[in-house]
Amino acid sequence: MLEYSLIAGILFGVFFGFMALGLNLIFGVMQVVNLAHGDFVVLGGYLAVVAYSSAHVNPLMSLILALVLFVVVAYVLYFPLIPRLTKSKDPEMLSLILFFGLSQIIEALDVIGFGNNPRSLPLAIMGSVPLHFLGQNYQMAWVITALVSLIMIGVTYGFLYYTRIGYAARAVMGNRDEAMASGLPVAQTSAIIFAVGIGLAAMAGVMSPFMIGSIDPSTGLGLTTIAFAIVVIGSLGNPLGSVLGGLVYGISVMLMQTYFSSWSNLVPYLLLLIIVLVKPSGLLGRGVRNA
Amino acid sequence: MRKRKQTMALFSLSAALLGTTLAGCGTSSTTSVPPAKNVSQITIGTLYAGSGSFATSSLPEYDGLKFWANQVNKAGGVFVKALNKKVPIKIVAYNDQSSATTATSLYSQLISVNHVNILVADFGSVLTSVAVPVAEENKMVLFDQSGTGTTFFTPNNPYIVLTSLPNSGLWPDSLAQYLIGKHYSRIAILYDTNDFDQSQDQTLVTKLKAAGITPVYNSGVPTSTSSYSVLLNNIAQTKPQAVIEFGYPNNDVSFLQALKASGSHYKMVFTVFPGQLPSLFTSSVGPSAINGTYTYPAPPLISHAHVNYGMDSSQFIAAFKKATGDNANFLNIAGYNTGLIIQKTLQTANSLSQLSLRHAVSRFSGTIETLDGKFQINSEGAQTGETLPVGKISANAQGQVSVQLMTPLS
Repeated sequence: MLEYSLIAGILFGVFFGFMALGLNLIFGVMQVVNLAHGDFVVLGGYLAVVAYSSAHVNPLMSLILALVLFVVVAYVLYFPLIPRLTKSKDPEMLSLILFFGLSQIIEALDVIGFGNNPRSLPLAIMGSVPLHFLGQNYQMAWVITALVSLIMIGVTYGFLYYTRIGYAARAVMGNRDEAMASGLPVAQTSAIIFAVGIGLAAMAGVMSPFMIGSIDPSTGLGLTTIAFAIVVIGSLGNPLGSVLGGLVYGISVMLMQTYFSSWSNLVPYLLLLIIVLVKPSGLLGRGVRNA
Repeated sequence: MRKRKQTMALFSLSAALLGTTLAGCGTSSTTSVPPAKNVSQITIGTLYAGSGSFATSSLPEYDGLKFWANQVNKAGGVFVKALNKKVPIKIVAYNDQSSATTATSLYSQLISVNHVNILVADFGSVLTSVAVPVAEENKMVLFDQSGTGTTFFTPNNPYIVLTSLPNSGLWPDSLAQYLIGKHYSRIAILYDTNDFDQSQDQTLVTKLKAAGITPVYNSGVPTSTSSYSVLLNNIAQTKPQAVIEFGYPNNDVSFLQALKASGSHYKMVFTVFPGQLPSLFTSSVGPSAINGTYTYPAPPLISHAHVNYGMDSSQFIAAFKKATGDNANFLNIAGYNTGLIIQKTLQTANSLSQLSLRHAVSRFSGTIETLDGKFQINSEGAQTGETLPVGKISANAQGQVSVQLMTPLS
């Protein structure tokens, strides 16, 4: 049981690290907290469900569709929302209110568009034969979702470290004012990172029915809470921290489900509390962020 | 330090923002009986969950209650014995968004602001649990549609009547009989940690132990659980013959989804809600995921033969389809059945005082049989007339669901 819990926790954690990545990118560059993050994940999930149920589009194809669609939508959404926020005296606080409102609007639109019933994808789409590893069977859908998540984390890392926009984004994460003084296109970089962050959330959403069973309009709030806990555990503003935070979260949840199942929903809050008290800057802290 | 401040600020403000979604604080007051001559309509106050995790169940139940009210109003209103005339029904309903906190203030608002004549609880034990103390404090009879938690019914509280389902402590009676009769000795039970599911677990475990069977696995999980793969793996390690899962619809969906993906097979798999919401399950997990599993079948999957009050199942299905365009499910029937119990109460009560209404319910208890089964309550207001049989589901590729009864229908 321990082996299974650990490996399932890693698979689960890699996915949740990927799910939280967009939230962390947006916070790192713009200092705004996207409380609607989970709702964009849910929208990605609905896109996959609708694409599969209406046209039998494989979720792996829906990943590309979600990325393109949500990058465009978020890029358009950026200009009326974010510049005003970042110019305010307290963008973090105002962003909470703004994105909470956006979250409520998206949830209401989900109810109108898709109803309240939970929606899911058949796990057999990803293969009906489980993966046999160390004497245990693991759902193929979980394995493929974790692989997709790892690839996307790698691609995001490459984007941040090997592209001009990525360099600029990391410079803005380090110090926005200095980046601006150096002549970097801060506004354009922010818009692109906002679009990429939402696009990544939607991509995670496409795979989410495989990991969390089903989605409904109210799922977003819980996912935002988990993503936020993961980001704080890893380190706010540090994308690598999301991966580490995701792993800590995933393994903790699976171990709790195995040994103290009644208490498993306490995990994100408990971890958050411990991190805030013991290492407020997160597990990776400032050292890595400034490296 | 800055990050820490941000984190703390986020949570403080998030809590404040969530607080703004609440409908305001209610005040408690004791209800007064309106003079009979001034009553021109009967106002029924209720809540529904327009969003959130209980919306799936709450909205169809509310639709059933509205359907009943429309039917009654089309016929000129409900006959009220205390007025010796028919008066129209008016429903006042608020959206609690599946939040027990929001529901608490809204129940108070229905009583003290809207001055409703009849108070009806929202779906299920979670949203009913907060109505029970509010109703008792305000001396209002709570018509509890489907909140079946055993803790709601106490000897000192006359202000509650369970209308549409038996007390959840009674639900697993037939399930326990079936498991014992099949001589299953290795039984795994997974339940959600809420009143509704915990009381079922306690009853089942007690009955099994009395028959000399100790479950090989018996664990609770939070009601918010959506990932069941590790739990199923842990269950598989105990090599059970029968796996029983007590959850709400969203839990059952995720459980059956994960079970199907795990490739594990057991002689018997039991979940609660496919018998009440079969179309939800065929659309969300596919017919193959519920085919061959066991459940508590409820109308319209099963029909009660001796209906002597209100429509029978086939009449209801046809009328509901005509009125709403939707296919009826059990929760529509539960809402309609609540309306029938209210109707019979008003036809029986000598006055509109709350205790008179409650005494009226006791008077006709055991004498009527609706499409939901025999209506009979005990002295604490808990439903004891209906029992839930165990049924085995057959679902074909087109999503048509039928049930073979494995234990007798009461």
